[in-house]
Amino acid sequence: MEPTVSAAGPERVVPVHQPIPASPAGAAKRLSVNPLKISQALGGTLALQGVYHAMPILHGAQGCAAFTKALMTRHFREPVALQTSALQEFNVIFGGEASLFEALDTIRAKHNPDITVVLSTALTDVSGEDIKGELAVYRKKHELGGKLLTCAMLPDFQGSLESGYARTIEALLEDVLTETSRPKKKIRNRVNLLPGAHLTPGDVMELKEIISSFGLEVIAIPDNSTSLAGHLLTGHTPLSRGGVPLDLLKQASASEWTIAVGASMEGAAKLLEKHADIPYKLFAGVTGLEATDDLFGFLQTIGSEPVSVKYRWQREFLMDAMLDAHFVYGGKKIALALEADHLHVLESWFREMGAHPDLRIAAARPYPGGKLPAGTLIGDLGDLEDQAAARGADLWVSNSHGEQGAHRLRVPFIPCGFPIFDRFGAGLTVSVGYHGTTELLNRIGNYLLAAERRDHA
Amino acid sequence: MKGSRNEWSGEPDCEHSKPDKKGCARPKPGEAAGGCAFDGAQITLLPIADAAHLIHGPIGCLGNSWESRGSLSSGPDLSRFGFTTDLSEQDIVMGGEQKLRGAISDIAVRYHPPAIFVYSTCVTALTGEDMGRACQEAEREHGIPVIPVHSPGFAGSKNWGNRLAGEALFEHVISKGSGTPLTEEEAAQPSVNLIGEYNIAGEQWDIEELLNKAGIRILSRITGDGRFGDIGKARFADVNMVVCSRALVTLARRMEETYRIPYFEGSFYGARETGFSLRQLAFLIGGDELDRKVSRLIRNEEEALTHDLLPLRKKLRGKRAVLYTGGVKSWSMITALQELGIQVVGVGTNKSTDEDISRIKERVGLDADLIPEGGAARILKTVRERKADLMIAGGRNLYVSMKEQIPFLDINQERHKAYAGYVGMRRLAADLVAALEHPVWNLVRRPAPWEGARANGTDR
Repeated sequence: MEPTVSAAGPERVVPVHQPIPASPAGAAKRLSVNPLKISQALGGTLALQGVYHAMPILHGAQGCAAFTKALMTRHFREPVALQTSALQEFNVIFGGEASLFEALDTIRAKHNPDITVVLSTALTDVSGEDIKGELAVYRKKHELGGKLLTCAMLPDFQGSLESGYARTIEALLEDVLTETSRPKKKIRNRVNLLPGAHLTPGDVMELKEIISSFGLEVIAIPDNSTSLAGHLLTGHTPLSRGGVPLDLLKQASASEWTIAVGASMEGAAKLLEKHADIPYKLFAGVTGLEATDDLFGFLQTIGSEPVSVKYRWQREFLMDAMLDAHFVYGGKKIALALEADHLHVLESWFREMGAHPDLRIAAARPYPGGKLPAGTLIGDLGDLEDQAAARGADLWVSNSHGEQGAHRLRVPFIPCGFPIFDRFGAGLTVSVGYHGTTELLNRIGNYLLAAERRDHA
Repeated sequence: MKGSRNEWSGEPDCEHSKPDKKGCARPKPGEAAGGCAFDGAQITLLPIADAAHLIHGPIGCLGNSWESRGSLSSGPDLSRFGFTTDLSEQDIVMGGEQKLRGAISDIAVRYHPPAIFVYSTCVTALTGEDMGRACQEAEREHGIPVIPVHSPGFAGSKNWGNRLAGEALFEHVISKGSGTPLTEEEAAQPSVNLIGEYNIAGEQWDIEELLNKAGIRILSRITGDGRFGDIGKARFADVNMVVCSRALVTLARRMEETYRIPYFEGSFYGARETGFSLRQLAFLIGGDELDRKVSRLIRNEEEALTHDLLPLRKKLRGKRAVLYTGGVKSWSMITALQELGIQVVGVGTNKSTDEDISRIKERVGLDADLIPEGGAARILKTVRERKADLMIAGGRNLYVSMKEQIPFLDINQERHKAYAGYVGMRRLAADLVAALEHPVWNLVRRPAPWEGARANGTDR
């Protein structure tokens, strides 16, 4: 017998679409069904893959790291640098310091990373461990020889992937920018790029290309495009396999501008402004004609070269593709469940295409602050399934965990966000800039077209 | 604290419990690779497809782990739902017990499962919630079994979690016999419980077809493609077969003591192990007719297999492989590979028990490098030194192999291919040939046109 994944066999009697009668309207949610949220620690681990020769250490039970590593590997189909302090019951009672120091000793001796970042978990935060203080002790005891050792507080009872990623970049920058040896003289035509957690390695590569086409030199922090996009240059190493190196990271303070993509990166941009006096420009996203025009408009004012012919053509292609595909997008009801920044980007773009992204679930509230647009709920994929069942939807866009719900409702499913599994190329998908938007538009348009053809068949 | 070592920890059939050992090895900070006890408990219990599985903790525990294993169900899919109390900071400060009761109630009312498994996690074990009491009360209120699984991650390794889950199954399901009694048809046929078989990629369906040919029925699936009600019938089986996990030997031994069900450890990887398992089943169940039936079955299957494998064995003969997996697979796979003519030149043993290791040594003799620990770097060293042609391991090492451009075969839980039994052996051989013969291995070694002399055409 060939293995098949059976979704709805004859034995299945579970009525899944009834509302939960036990929770009265307005009462706090006590059961999360098919969660959308991803732990902050995973976001932190993701950010650190984009820093060269780095090793994140998850300070928790060994499962915290094992799950995180397995899930990220499944999404990116790349090795992931991550270690654990492997806390055991007695460490939690008597304090995790000894385990953490043992982990640091082992990792320094075996792999000697340039950057080591300890990521806290719910377990260490609940047990009240002072990781900052412990690291201060460790630094006093050991000569780190210019290597960076810091920590980020990422308990999974707060925030989500996006905030964990942003907080980790903030922790790194805080450390690098307050170092006395950092360069203070500005370097002409150099800019920092702070790509948000929702951007793929492919997106980051595209943004770097766009920005440098204006005669600008880019330092991407973090830079997953050279680590998680896939390459065979380094062979196997337990450390991160690419990304921004420490010496370049230190030079971020010499840039003329910071370009942040995704509202969650504003905190990091503000750190660069505060410590190094670098003005920043924040873009919610760079997907869609209007959003991409905004970026190009800005680059034209700060760049040393005019816009290249390549992008003039790409903009023509995009507008033409929008005209070709607008028929299938117009009036379509879209169900979206994503991290807050990502949700905002896709909501705006679907509106640009005349679709109605009316069912919207965010994984958590926006980081570092701000409000979700009216009508957006913080919730899980179970909420999206209930809403889509009640109000109808033509397309379901979420991470791969949403596929089962979309399948139950027979709504076409587009994997988006994190994690995406059972698909190739999650890390290389591009949806930024004129070309990326065209790709996205055609990709999703084809699903809508196929669904229409089935409806008429 | 719940989840601590208790009477289940001193497993007499586990060599880790012998006087010179200090229990299962402690994971090493900074170089640990495996999962935690919570992971292990989920591995063992999640395949019970019609039950609801509720994770009581903050989001990381469920959020990063659900829908991650290739354990398949032939029917119900409630276990594919991710249920969690998703504790917030405030919940933890105020105590999560009330939220837990609410969550259990929401599941019971909306999804009508035959049972709910409730898993504790590090945080809820640390805050000292009385999860057992909450489950008991919910059980009374909703009239379905609500089973506490005390498996916080910091309690130990994945194997330890397997054992904790076995304990929960024995105490709350099997010994309570919460299943329906046997049907007449079920009672009439010799039957086996498969313990620690998780129906990865549908392997159990192949195994079942084979057992049915021998006239043996699978009574309780513990737990691949499992149903809660069927597991309650486990005590009526004639024999227990522990298929994959040494950690569940405890469960089998408890059932032997309590219900006098004999057990053995076996495997369905490779013709030799499959034949051995079938003969053991026939022996422990007893009866001449069964014995004859099984002998005939093995003879027919082996003849057909030998014939079918002939062309593939020609291609595989003399190839050198490094095997890196855990438990039973670390030795049963060796036999399977040797049957295909492959030479096993390195074997990972970091997840193997002492008994597994002695079985490995029996099979590879002195020819192979045993790799005790050291992770990817150590495996690669063996691959290079022993000039291996391919690596056979789990998904964790897949991309290590790809980055080093070594042909690879995934044999762990995330895979999509079923390799058990005689049918599985054919697939295994075909996949090995496909992996080794693939054109990509030559193409990725091709120099780029801008590298070296060829770039500007000077070599002409």
